[in-house]
Amino acid sequence: MAQMWITMGPQHPMTHGLWTLRVKVDGETVVDTDAELGYIHRGVEKIAEARDFTQITPYCDRLCYVSAMTWANSYIYAAEDLLEVEVPERAEYIRLISAECQRLASHLMWLGAYGPDIGSLTLMTWCMRDREMFLDLLQELGGSRMHYNYPRVGGVKRDIPVGFADRLVAKVKLFEKRIEEYEMMLDESTIWLVRLQGVGYANAEDMVNAGVSGPNIRAAGVNYDVRWAHPYSVYDQVDWEPAVEKPTSVKGADCYDRYRVRMEEMRQSCKMILDAIERIPGGKNTNYSSGDEMILAKAPTRAPEGATGFSHYECTRGASQFYIQGGGDGRGKNPYRLSIRSPMFITIPYVAKTMIGYKVADIPAIMGSFDPCIGETDR
Amino acid sequence: MGMRISLEQSESAAQTCVDTIMKRFDGIGATASVEHHSNALKMAFVRISTPPQHWPAMAKTLRFDHGVNYCSMVTGTHFPDGGADRGWEVVYHMMRQPVVDQAPNTNTVHEATKLSGSDIPLELEIIITLPQTDEPSVPSVQKIWVGADWNEKETWDLVGIRFEGHENMHRVLNPHDSPEGFHPLQKQHKIRYHGFNEMYDDAQGFGRKPTDEDRVK
Repeated sequence: MAQMWITMGPQHPMTHGLWTLRVKVDGETVVDTDAELGYIHRGVEKIAEARDFTQITPYCDRLCYVSAMTWANSYIYAAEDLLEVEVPERAEYIRLISAECQRLASHLMWLGAYGPDIGSLTLMTWCMRDREMFLDLLQELGGSRMHYNYPRVGGVKRDIPVGFADRLVAKVKLFEKRIEEYEMMLDESTIWLVRLQGVGYANAEDMVNAGVSGPNIRAAGVNYDVRWAHPYSVYDQVDWEPAVEKPTSVKGADCYDRYRVRMEEMRQSCKMILDAIERIPGGKNTNYSSGDEMILAKAPTRAPEGATGFSHYECTRGASQFYIQGGGDGRGKNPYRLSIRSPMFITIPYVAKTMIGYKVADIPAIMGSFDPCIGETDR
Repeated sequence: MGMRISLEQSESAAQTCVDTIMKRFDGIGATASVEHHSNALKMAFVRISTPPQHWPAMAKTLRFDHGVNYCSMVTGTHFPDGGADRGWEVVYHMMRQPVVDQAPNTNTVHEATKLSGSDIPLELEIIITLPQTDEPSVPSVQKIWVGADWNEKETWDLVGIRFEGHENMHRVLNPHDSPEGFHPLQKQHKIRYHGFNEMYDDAQGFGRKPTDEDRVK
């Protein structure tokens, strides 16, 4: 049969954003693919060169609208490396809790969007219901539902409100039961198994060499999590263990493994939050005023030329990295160059190549299982 | 309890890497040193600086002798005022991720504190400085790390550093029909209101003028 190129996207339900997947098909089989990105390139790296270090945080929120808190935190750790700031421990705990709440919200968004891809519309409504709990919690911290602008160089903007701890614990405990509900619905559902098992195999060593990170490699049995391998924050003081899935095939992880590893990761996040809120220094029901030394350390505003800052952070979709060179405009008030590494920018071209050999109908299942987000991809 | 790589582990892994690199690449102008981050945990990493012509040999050593299997990030920077020797800089960030060949249906999650030798995750920063030139170029490492492929595409697209030997180089973030030689992160491209703090100096925006107002459009 004659082969032909099909263009999927930029407007296609499979893409979860704006990008184009060009597929060469032979009948129903994919024989070649090509990814095109850059539709929503906003030039954040260039904009940052005209902003001072505090002003960059809101732009980092907007890199990925599904996990704003983790991206802002990721930038802040690089800025703290550059400006040589020691963060108070209470602030580190608050950052940990906020980042893990964001991870839960982001994974729920992924599951909610992945369900309709597969043909399970119920999942969308369930996940949005539960995600709302965590957006409410994050709203209490940052003041808005999606773009929080919460972390600061040297700490956080304001302390956790009184009563936040009780609401957090109640919601997380409820959600732990809900995870079991999801698993009861999905783990042995025929639609779910038929569409996910044996589809989209990705080998561990190939993925690492290609630069894929986060839950996607942990699904293939690579026990590599930035939170213990290149540690930051206080992850060694709370109770958790990395979620690693053992693939059942020698070919690597399939879509079902990637679904399982994210469910396990949500469970670990719940465990972490419940432990961290009990251990938080200064007490969980005290509220320090903004700028108190318990939650915000004094930080310099200028970085000399030649100074560099680097952060390696476990974002919800993989390892995000920021590299900042100091000594920009305003006698070092602005960065000279800010460089962002987005995990999905590297993953999407790799995933496009793993689709070769599968049917056209498998494309949404494979692509969705890697959790693409185009906001961070295009920057 | 949670776990993490300790400072001693990361220091010993970095020191081993630095020692072997310095032994292997002695007297070619390359330097390697153990550095520490300056934020809270002060973790150690390896900083290597190498002339561009020795970069492919260095890359192969890192990949095949040191198990550095993960090229995570490529940063290009333009220094128009950096002097004759330093016009451009390319920084590679690499990681060593111990890949566990996990057999199917087994359950061996290893513990961070028990890792030793080449099983310890390692972080590297490789700095390649290029002289002041209109056509900066470094050898590509696309064939050694697949992960370098799209990172190098992006660096050429945004900064304009050529990667010799890179196959299938094309625009990734800018439009495909961008003018040839247009690379927006080069410093001669000023963003509008550059050096002007609109938030404090002119909150209402009454004083704003486009920087190109005197140009004939």
